[in-house]
Amino acid sequence: MKRIWQTLTSGMSKFIIVRLLQIILVLYLYMTLVFIILEAQPGDITDIYTANPKITPEAKEAIVKQLGLNKPIYERYLNYLRNFVTGHLGCSFKWGNIRDVPDPVCREQRPTWDLIRERLPRTIVLFLTYTIVSFYIGFFLGKLIAWRRGAIIEYFSTVVGVVLFTVFTPWFALLLVWLFAVNLGVVPIGGFINPDSWTNIRQIGSVDCSIGISCSNIVFNHMLLWLGGLTLFWGIVYLWSRRFPYPWQRNTARWGAVALGLVLAGLFFGGGWLGEIDRVVLARDTKFEFFVWHFEFPAGTIPLFPLALDFVQHMVLPILTLTLISFAGTMLLMRNTMLETMREDYVMAAKAKGLPDHVVRDKHAARNALLPVVTSLIFAIAFSVDGGVFTETIFSWPGMGQLLLLSALEQDYPVAIGSLVFTGIFALVAHVIADILYAFLDPRIRYD
Amino acid sequence: MAPLTTYPVLQVENLTMHYTTRKGAVKAVEDVSFSLDKGEALGLVGESGCGKTSVALTLLRLLPENAQFLGGHVYFFRDGSDEAHARRAVGKPVKILLDGQEHQGRLVEVDRSQLVLDARLNGRTQQIKLGRDDIARLGVDLTALSDEEMRPIRWKGISMIFQAAMNSLNPVYKVGDQIIEAMQTHMPIPIPEARERVAQLFQLVGLDRQLMDRYPHEYSGGMKQRAVIAMALACDPDIIIADEPTTALDVIVQDKILREMRQIQKKLNMSMIYISHDIAVIAEVADKVGVMYAGGLVEFGPSEAIFKSPIHPYTKALMSAFPSIKGEKVKLAALPGEPPDLIKPPSGCRFHPRCPYATEICEREVPKFIEHKPKQYAACWNPLM
Ligand SMILES: Nc1ncnc2c1ncn2[C@@H]1O[C@H](COP(=O)(O)OP(=O)(O)OP(=O)(O)O)[C@@H](O)[C@H]1O
Ligand code: SF4
Ligand SMILES: [Mg+2]
Repeated sequence: MKRIWQTLTSGMSKFIIVRLLQIILVLYLYMTLVFIILEAQPGDITDIYTANPKITPEAKEAIVKQLGLNKPIYERYLNYLRNFVTGHLGCSFKWGNIRDVPDPVCREQRPTWDLIRERLPRTIVLFLTYTIVSFYIGFFLGKLIAWRRGAIIEYFSTVVGVVLFTVFTPWFALLLVWLFAVNLGVVPIGGFINPDSWTNIRQIGSVDCSIGISCSNIVFNHMLLWLGGLTLFWGIVYLWSRRFPYPWQRNTARWGAVALGLVLAGLFFGGGWLGEIDRVVLARDTKFEFFVWHFEFPAGTIPLFPLALDFVQHMVLPILTLTLISFAGTMLLMRNTMLETMREDYVMAAKAKGLPDHVVRDKHAARNALLPVVTSLIFAIAFSVDGGVFTETIFSWPGMGQLLLLSALEQDYPVAIGSLVFTGIFALVAHVIADILYAFLDPRIRYD
Repeated sequence: MAPLTTYPVLQVENLTMHYTTRKGAVKAVEDVSFSLDKGEALGLVGESGCGKTSVALTLLRLLPENAQFLGGHVYFFRDGSDEAHARRAVGKPVKILLDGQEHQGRLVEVDRSQLVLDARLNGRTQQIKLGRDDIARLGVDLTALSDEEMRPIRWKGISMIFQAAMNSLNPVYKVGDQIIEAMQTHMPIPIPEARERVAQLFQLVGLDRQLMDRYPHEYSGGMKQRAVIAMALACDPDIIIADEPTTALDVIVQDKILREMRQIQKKLNMSMIYISHDIAVIAEVADKVGVMYAGGLVEFGPSEAIFKSPIHPYTKALMSAFPSIKGEKVKLAALPGEPPDLIKPPSGCRFHPRCPYATEICEREVPKFIEHKPKQYAACWNPLM
């Protein structure tokens, strides 16, 4: 017991626990703020019925009562909080139920939670992939151009990066759509899946896809699980392999884990090797396209991968756009901090130790230059929500950003509130993860 | 062949290096020559900014980008039967000590048992065939090596305790791991053994072995200093350069660490170059002393001789301040004026504006660096005898 208490109150665990408590507090403040903003609007949501002559003042009164709008504000506030804690997010005003059976609470309307549960993973995947890709490219280029100052790559990537960084973003996004989707036709114009390819799907695993589109989430969530699971697995193997005495043992363990993960994923998506869940039943012949490759499948059972590729293909353009627009920020920051750390004495010492050039660069200079860059990432996350709204709208990516915009425009209040709060939660969690990552990278923070 | 009692591990000849700046070239190292024998401690002393660190960085080839190496040779000696060392020397200018005699030339060939040297002897070029065992010492000119060839020499051949020793530990890695990294770069040693060796080194420099799994920010200044010394010892180097190893510490710790370093050096029979602006520190540890002034070496010789009767007026002035001073940027009591600007140094003898013994020639011509007394070299027109 004492041991557990000690580990919890020291080092990394303490740091994480404190951060988690902090986000609960911030979340509470954020939700209160959302409530206040909505309350501060003139009128209430029943006003949308006022223009409708068919709705009598009595009927309106009944709706007000039904929605609890006649209650005092503190009671509504407590109700609002209680509903969130207990997971009651209300029913959408606009979205109809898509299931065969009516929802027990919302009947013919779709529950807000259902919408969010469907869309949040899509946003997470898009956002996470783009963050990692753009961050890594910026980090890598920044590191290189600082290390080889005055090389051609420095001028090239600085000019290109700054131009892209300052360009009018929607215009640039449309330009890329025009170039890659319209002119070259290598990627789809937008959207999440190619409905034509999915209409013939009858069953995925044991789930019946009578309405084809709803099945897309099964595949998507499989991809997400695999991605998360593999990342976790590789991370654990990486940390675990550090205990090996020889570098070659470490490398064998790490590359072994990478190979194992890829083989397992290949078996899963390649079809039928890991049980029932990874099989798709096709009703009719169908074909899938992935860039320039065409896959034709006869009716019967097919593996998951063509469906997975369909998502991948739809993610290419949004990710490319976001990456091109934003990598320069990381790159230039990385270049500057790298130039600074390169002057540090420990970098000279590392060189004096006879380490190979790339080790001095990566393990000593870049590793320390990374710290301020991660800090900037933590701040960038807070501002990325609006970017999400814009990107998802331009590329019609059916995620949280699009949902937020649509529900706000259509005055679908339950969904608007729900997506606003969940976008906030998402940003907060991303923030905390970046924070923990930072503490993991910098021992001076961890042990304060 | 009679075994030599002492032999050189390092010979520096006419080393010259300038820094390019917007205001002009900073002539930080001008024609510096000295030599270091096995097991010997050399002290480089001089005012702040006279180029001591620059000499060290030049011979280790760790110069910043704006530095311009302008010439000179750095011969680093190892036993001629050291295969890797001999291979590295092929095609490079070398010096060979053969029966106590020095031969200079270019090594043209190495095979299992034989070295072939294109040597210039008595003004003629001739090929000398040498058995491995004939050669006590083979000196390679480090200035002729590529960066990749230089890598194995760093730390294994010559390691360094940097002036800002406190900052030469990377804040994001455990101290022990940073030392192990140096070891694993130069020898295939498994981690458990490497850790054991770190523990021994820590014991040697007076640190608790638990500390090897701590981060630098958990160390005090003195502990960091000791850790850095342990790191310099990690690969059993032939030479350690200690650049102001104790300046950042308080006087009591300073003395203690210096004494311990001296003991370790004697015990392991290592060669050392101590760099300090503080002649008291040098007096405590050095067998030989090199006195630098404004980028040049002005006096060089055995420390007793120099401390008993300095030849160069600057050395004398430095010593008149001894032993009172320990600290940053010392104003020399006996010397009027400021240290010269290295961008536009004074003509002739760079010391002449401040020298009480200056004569007319001092302003006009650079004095030669010559042996005035046995083994005691100086660059002065009016040597104090
Ligand atoms: N990178 C550089 N660019 C330009 N000038 C430099 C550079 N590094 C050092 N210098 C100059 O070269 C001269 C010699 O510097 P160096 O560091 O070798 O002196 P030092 O004898 O070690 O002094 P200290 O006792 O202060 O360490 C100084 O005048 C310094 O200002
Ligand atoms: S050469 Fe002249 S100026 Fe220089 S130290 Fe000797 S006496 Fe002084
Ligand atoms: Mg210095």
